[in-house]
Amino acid sequence: MIKGLLKKDLYNLATYKTSLIIIILFCGIAIIGTDAVTIAPTVICAIVGMISLSTFSYDEMSKSNRYILTLPTNRKELVREKYILAIGATILGGILGMVLTIIVVNIMNYLRPENIINLDYQSLIIATMGGIFAISFIQSVQIPSMYKWGAEKGRIQMFILVLIIVAIIGGIYFLINKANINIDMEMLNNFITRFGLIILIVSTIIMYSISYKIAYKIYKNKEE
Amino acid sequence: MENNIELQNVSKKYKDFELKNISFNVPQGCIVGLIGENGAGKTTTIKSILNITKSEGTVKIFGKDSKNNEKEIKEETGVVLDDSFLSEYLTAKQVNSIMKDFYKTWNENKYINLLKQFNLPTDKLIKDFSSGMRMKLKIATAISHDPKLLILDEPTSGLDPIVRNEILDIFRKYIEEDETRSILLSTHITTDLEHISDYIVFIEKGKIIFDLPTDELLENYGIIKCSREDFIRLDEKDYIAYKKGKYQYEVLTNDKSAIRSKYNISTIDKPSIEDIMLFYIKGEK
Repeated sequence: MIKGLLKKDLYNLATYKTSLIIIILFCGIAIIGTDAVTIAPTVICAIVGMISLSTFSYDEMSKSNRYILTLPTNRKELVREKYILAIGATILGGILGMVLTIIVVNIMNYLRPENIINLDYQSLIIATMGGIFAISFIQSVQIPSMYKWGAEKGRIQMFILVLIIVAIIGGIYFLINKANINIDMEMLNNFITRFGLIILIVSTIIMYSISYKIAYKIYKNKEE
Repeated sequence: MENNIELQNVSKKYKDFELKNISFNVPQGCIVGLIGENGAGKTTTIKSILNITKSEGTVKIFGKDSKNNEKEIKEETGVVLDDSFLSEYLTAKQVNSIMKDFYKTWNENKYINLLKQFNLPTDKLIKDFSSGMRMKLKIATAISHDPKLLILDEPTSGLDPIVRNEILDIFRKYIEEDETRSILLSTHITTDLEHISDYIVFIEKGKIIFDLPTDELLENYGIIKCSREDFIRLDEKDYIAYKKGKYQYEVLTNDKSAIRSKYNISTIDKPSIEDIMLFYIKGEK
């Protein structure tokens, strides 16, 4: 049943294919122009990840959830499918960005041997994972918001929630500075290099899991 | 006769509306029409049957509890909703590819043949379909897995008489193909039901007013057109409601033969279902 739900959303999203090609071309040109190797994974991952959530607007327009609930499926599968789509799109965006970067950089290095770009694969992976983490954070807030308030209102509420969260994190940072707590930056850098990737992956999984539970709880009691 | 749907005391409370103790059956081999004005509770009843909305009471479909056997029941049920479908940005061909993954018994050949029969294009977006074409596509989708039960919410609203007739023909054929099948059809266009329904369930303000075989309804109910003097003679128990006109009274009775013999009134008109509905809603008592 989830396969059918995924197909429905992917057919709807097919309208974005031209935009996606333009974004990929834009990112390729941006790499050539700036030599910045982290731009493509973050940008493509962000855009593809956010496009996947536009399926909520399609569902709302056609009131399709009411109809889908008459088919042999249930609310749990409906919510689960949205997360599979969101996570899949974000990871795919990240991989697409990485592959694009590797291809563009290698072509550039071949064509401009005097100006070799050193591609650090570890940095590329961490940058991609950072992008995935950022988008998964937004999706984790946005999906339950859209179940609660609908596709349009949910987007506004999501921005408010993200602002509140950023303000809290900024506030904590400010308080640490104000309290003159000394942070050993070298130790922190070492820590990030050693455990950064694992922390990002684990945090992303935890965020999505909490978000899924909240979204299902909201949708379970929602009138269609 | 076995029932494909059994509703017992189904209730649902909203802020401004309440569905109260709805009980009726949809027997096998029958078409049951659910009638009532807009906002009477027809869609809420259908949503309760389909478990789309949480309600109190018992709903049994194919003899099984609808809440505990949801997927199993929905495998054998086809649904058409007036205002909702998969997506407007799909083609009929894509609908086929999606539905294959929902229903184990999805019959692709039947679906393609129905599209041909209804003259529906396979590669055009649904948003560019006319309302008649959309409804035909919804019906083709609902019956292509050979369901035992069809639940239709306002399938003929907004359609011209020719398309409405075509659609009613499809329902007739569907029920004739297999005597264990049934249809529950909600509509406010009651003329459609006079031709195809076996039972009529009338809902008004969230309550069932009557649940009767269509033949009985059309045979036993009558409209007496009489003068004020004749109207005064009538016992209140003998009629359901009346309408006071400029020159005469119109009185609805549910037992015209009794009225005939008791009051010696010979002119009693045969009402349409719409007339009966209007008397219940607008008439006085």
